[in-house]
Amino acid sequence: MRLRAPGLTRAGLFGLLGLAFSYALVCGLRAIGGDDPVLQGDAVARVAMLAVPLFMLVGLGAFDYWFYWAAGRPTRPEDHSSHGAHSWRDYFRVNTDHKVIGIQYTVTSFFFLFVGGLLAMLMRAELAQPGRQFVDADTYNGLFSVHASILIFLFIIPVFAGLANFVIPLMIGAPDMAFPRLNALSFWLLPLAGTMMLLSFFAPGGSFATGWTAYAPLSETSPIGQEFFTIGVQFAGASSIATALNFLVTIITMRAPGMSFFRMPLLVWANFSTSLLVVIATPFIAASQFFILLDRGLGFRFFDSGAGGDVLMYQHVFWFYSHPAVYIMMLPGFGIVSEIIAVKARKPIFGYRMMAFSLLAIVVLGFTVWAHHMFVSGMQSWIRIPMMITTAVIAVPTGIKIFSWLATLWRGVLRLDTPMLFALGFLTMFTLGGISGVMFAMIPIDIHTSDTYFVVAHIHYVLFGGSVFTIFAGVYYWFPKMTGRMFDETLGRLHFWMTFVFFNLSFGPMHWIGVKGMPRRVYDYSEGFAGWNLFITVASFCLGLSMLVFVYNIVASWRGGPRAAANPWRALTLEWQVSSPPPIFNFDHIPTVVGGPYEYGVPGAVHGVFKGGARVEQPAGAAVEPSRE
Amino acid sequence: MEAAALTHGAHAHDEHHGPPPANSSSRVEPQLLGMLLFIISEIMVFGAFFTAYFFIRVVAGSDWFPVDDFALPKVVAGVNTAILVSSSLTMHWALEGAKRGNRAHLRAGLVLTLLLGATFLFVQINEYVNLTQEGLTPKVLAQGSVFYGLTGLHGAHVFIGLLLLTFATVRAFRGHFTPEEHRGVEVPGIYWHFVDVMWILVYSSVYLL
Amino acid sequence: MAAREEDTGNIQHRQKDRAAVLPMVLIVLFSSAVGIVLGLLIDWFPTPASTQADPIDTLWDVLVIASVPVFVGVQAFVLYCVWRFRMRPGQELQDGPPIHGNTRLEVVWTVIPAVLILGLCTYAYFVLEDIEEAKANEWRINVVGQQFTWTFEYPEAITGGKPIRTAQLYVPKDQPVHFYVKSQDVLHDFWVPAWRMKIDAVPGMETRYRVTPNRTGRFSVVCAELCGIGHAYMRQTANVVSREDFDRWLEEKKSRGGTAGGGTAGGEEVDGKTLFAEGNGEATACGACHTLSDAGTSGTTGPDLDEALRGMTADEIRKQIADPNSEIAEGFGEGIMPDNYEQLLSPEELDALVKYLEGVSK
Ligand code: HEA
Ligand code: HEA
Ligand code: HEC
Ligand code: CUA
Ligand SMILES: [Cu+2]
Repeated sequence: MRLRAPGLTRAGLFGLLGLAFSYALVCGLRAIGGDDPVLQGDAVARVAMLAVPLFMLVGLGAFDYWFYWAAGRPTRPEDHSSHGAHSWRDYFRVNTDHKVIGIQYTVTSFFFLFVGGLLAMLMRAELAQPGRQFVDADTYNGLFSVHASILIFLFIIPVFAGLANFVIPLMIGAPDMAFPRLNALSFWLLPLAGTMMLLSFFAPGGSFATGWTAYAPLSETSPIGQEFFTIGVQFAGASSIATALNFLVTIITMRAPGMSFFRMPLLVWANFSTSLLVVIATPFIAASQFFILLDRGLGFRFFDSGAGGDVLMYQHVFWFYSHPAVYIMMLPGFGIVSEIIAVKARKPIFGYRMMAFSLLAIVVLGFTVWAHHMFVSGMQSWIRIPMMITTAVIAVPTGIKIFSWLATLWRGVLRLDTPMLFALGFLTMFTLGGISGVMFAMIPIDIHTSDTYFVVAHIHYVLFGGSVFTIFAGVYYWFPKMTGRMFDETLGRLHFWMTFVFFNLSFGPMHWIGVKGMPRRVYDYSEGFAGWNLFITVASFCLGLSMLVFVYNIVASWRGGPRAAANPWRALTLEWQVSSPPPIFNFDHIPTVVGGPYEYGVPGAVHGVFKGGARVEQPAGAAVEPSRE
Repeated sequence: MEAAALTHGAHAHDEHHGPPPANSSSRVEPQLLGMLLFIISEIMVFGAFFTAYFFIRVVAGSDWFPVDDFALPKVVAGVNTAILVSSSLTMHWALEGAKRGNRAHLRAGLVLTLLLGATFLFVQINEYVNLTQEGLTPKVLAQGSVFYGLTGLHGAHVFIGLLLLTFATVRAFRGHFTPEEHRGVEVPGIYWHFVDVMWILVYSSVYLL
Repeated sequence: MAAREEDTGNIQHRQKDRAAVLPMVLIVLFSSAVGIVLGLLIDWFPTPASTQADPIDTLWDVLVIASVPVFVGVQAFVLYCVWRFRMRPGQELQDGPPIHGNTRLEVVWTVIPAVLILGLCTYAYFVLEDIEEAKANEWRINVVGQQFTWTFEYPEAITGGKPIRTAQLYVPKDQPVHFYVKSQDVLHDFWVPAWRMKIDAVPGMETRYRVTPNRTGRFSVVCAELCGIGHAYMRQTANVVSREDFDRWLEEKKSRGGTAGGGTAGGEEVDGKTLFAEGNGEATACGACHTLSDAGTSGTTGPDLDEALRGMTADEIRKQIADPNSEIAEGFGEGIMPDNYEQLLSPEELDALVKYLEGVSK
């Protein structure tokens, strides 16, 4: 019985089953085709990487419902057995409650932040001095490739999806996401994708070592480890497409009565725009990796110039996803910051409509700039000019957002607690990252600085100073709502200041050594850069330690922090009008929205009214208790 | 997929009562919208493969079929196209049947669509076999890679479409679907039409142009 | 357009505003000035050594001047708000004025950055035209990237005789050069920081850029595109020399018939030392990766053969060349040294090379 019930055990069994299946399939086919040898390791591995995760999902029970549905057997939609969490165990099974999924998402992706960050620590240790320290070139290439892939595909992108998963249905007054089972599925794809990428370190020939960009043809000649990326990305991508689709449908069809588009909180707007980007762009990275897979696995010749292929095509297809992806990694952060700044400055967001429109502008422009990553790739040179202009023009809508946030601060009553500090930190740091971006846009500058540490500096100012800061802000801001506990404010501030200082000490100098001529993706460098690199390494270790403060604060507060009130920040948006944590079905009755979400300072303004004005009380058992084991 | 949003069971006990009925803030049904968005993604997947086609044929300027006396069977594929198009018609017929509550039409239409789709796939695979015997494998030419890539991608979609239709058929024969509630036919139907249109693009760009 | 000033009527607020704005503006102006001075004082670039470097460095300075105020402005504004509008004790329940927007402001901060951006783009465009424009009597030098070395090819037009293939890049000062870059395997990137120019080497394609070196010296050639294990070591030297020195160097090269294009014409006697330092048409020079004082090479990708060769027998050396991965030298990666020398070198050449190396190793 225990074995046949959906869950981790069954998933494990099915995993083995999948392994056996791929083994049999490959050997069988090769035997029929008369290929020799019949047992070919790479082929088996390749098929296994595709099949095992699917088998495990079946084992988990992610598909059970659909199997019933497909077979036309009675499905029990009114049965909510798979809904809500009553003990920590419920976080380890397929769960259809968007709040549970949100927490599953967030915790999982933070796990990957720590892994990816620790890889970065190894990189920095290697880079502490010129010459080889303790990893060889191949391992080092593997380190930064996995570092980046993990942090992009399994931290930044999913953690935003996680926070939004928890918050958005509450914000728009919906009882859940539109497709709860799809939601669960898209979560469970993630740990599989992440584990796959990490396992690549154990692959013969080492992990994938061609950067997160996996440029052909290098990625076609490199050892089997490469395919842990090629295929892992497929699963991560499928996950984010599914989530995006879910968000779009939820936001379009399930808003509370009275919540017109221009009464939606900006976080909802942000995720709406992001989801558009995901749905349209992500298929391109999937395809780019399909090409690689076909070339490697079946001997296709997409990128073999000798056979009439086109090498640069890979980069065009890849960046047509991966540039929009950088906005996929930033727009939700914009949303989070808008929420926090309005609440903490006790003022309406300045120029709400322009904030919404600038998001859409970024979405549109985001599709017109991909080739700014290819200024020195040798593509037709005329493409560069239009790309330079569109790229630089993105500074305008982004600027509108920055300036509107600043104007929102103006004459507010600023509550400078942890979430606000991170939001302000984001404002300042992202501006710098964006400006170095605009410098890249100027082709002659990019010709010199492309593929140098100046790029690495840009990456981290926008992704860490930008995205990660907003993520921390959001996690602190919604922590009371998600866990029903308050975090420790003092530790929170300590965390902010350590992060802020050591972040700048780590990545600031990279601007300089980059322009000076230190290329990226090297594990050894000329003596001239020794001093600064040692400095950076030390600083980045301290940055790592600052994370420990965060970890401790979160874990301790979740276990034993003081109980949080329903609305500790006196916010107007709907998620704060229900208990902390929210009741299992969010609302007893869907509220009615009667005004804008940020009417702070307007006497007696409300955003949503509840039937009989009564708050939904927290039903017994719905309290989300964290892991105590 | 169906929306938990549309589900409500009024149990007395606090713990087990269902969620409140969601407000539906749009005239479009979630399932339909979901499928449409999914199709947008799908179009982009094909878009990426067409990009490959464009770069290899136009940008890299590799000449297109017939390439060193490998030719594509325009005619056979043309007939095959006709088959797929007609399957779209039968699909439509089936849906009409469902809407008018005419179960016979529904079942017949679905079965016909299944058969036509299967025939298409069969012919396609047969074409692959012939071409590989002539020596045009994906391995010899980038053009070959694009050809097999695009048609193969499409073939995979036909297969998925057939899968969805099979579900629908099974349920049709189990007596599901009423004039009011026939989403299970409509949604796979939309997908099927999409696969069909996509083929016309693939056929005209790979075989004809 | 959500631009209503709820509290336009409120004179008192207006005055408060003005009182607040003035110091704000002053702070921004002052700190921008300081920032710009600092930004320009920093010595950002490596020594400029080409006519391309100067306009690029100037563009950089302009960008610094343009963006410092933006950055500093945002910082100063945030800090000022934090200092002036932070919640004081007793304000716990207080809210700010409900200002929803202000059309004039929003137009201003849309238009100003737009203008600034377009201005910068136009300027950048002209700089680009400038650094890429064709010069009179340009030389064409072919650059071939391969894991993990650069080979430079001087065509007839320059040598006046057979083309020359070598691992050493020599260019006369003030000679406009048009580099044609190719790759034999994966992507590489031909970058000379002192020249500010870089371009990918793409298999199956010919990419190019123009440079006019205007400063003599030895400048590092860096591979800037991840190309595998040896990427970090794919370094060579660009020697910019006076016209006379260049001609001398060229003569020296030409006098060594053996190294001109496509392998040695059979019969004529092969010189192992030259092979080591220059390679032949196909094979990359050993010297590109190995230091060997006798051959005057200083590569660092592979072991320093002054040490490594000591006590190696002829067979051992031959084995290392024919099949480098048979045993990997301490501290170096496998698969970096090309394992196809047996094919690239004619038997005579291989013998000569081994004989030579055995000689020096004594
Ligand atoms: C969160 C992710 C993120 C974000 C938001 C951005 C934002 C931008 N990026 Fe960045 N970028 C990356 C992540 C991101 N980038 C990554 C990961 C890479 C490396 C990929 C690799 O590995 O190769 C990269 C690389 C990269 C390159 C290629 C460099 C190279 O490899 O040669 C370029 C070139 O144009 C570029 C440009 C820009 C621009 C113009 C913006 C703009 O959107 C920035 C706009 C914002 C501002 C400008 C600041 C606020 C605006 C104002 C205050 C108004 C006034 C400002 C002015 C008038 C200047 N980025
Ligand atoms: C997505 C966001 C993201 C984040 C958050 C980070 C975080 C960090 N990154 Fe990275 N990075 C990228 C995205 C990101 N990076 C990308 C896209 C690239 C390009 C890759 C490529 O070229 O393909 C890159 C490349 C890159 C390089 C260049 C590699 C090269 O080109 O050779 C370096 C080098 O210093 C670096 C360093 C760091 C450091 C020190 C951190 C730190 O902020 C990490 C801090 C976090 C932790 C340390 C983990 C948590 C802490 C603990 C668990 C406590 C215990 C730890 C210790 C104190 C040891 N990153
Ligand atoms: C692309 C760089 C490269 C080139 C070109 C190259 N080598 Fe090497 N060589 C290496 C590396 C790296 C090693 C160390 C790893 C190994 O032993 O394979 C090495 C090892 C050796 C060794 C063994 C040294 C030891 O300590 O055991 C010898 C001998 C040698 N090379 C000779 C040559 C000769 C002769 C040539 C030219 C015909 C040549 N190499 C060309 C990179 C190169
Ligand atoms: Cu060649 Cu990097
Ligand atoms: Cu980009």
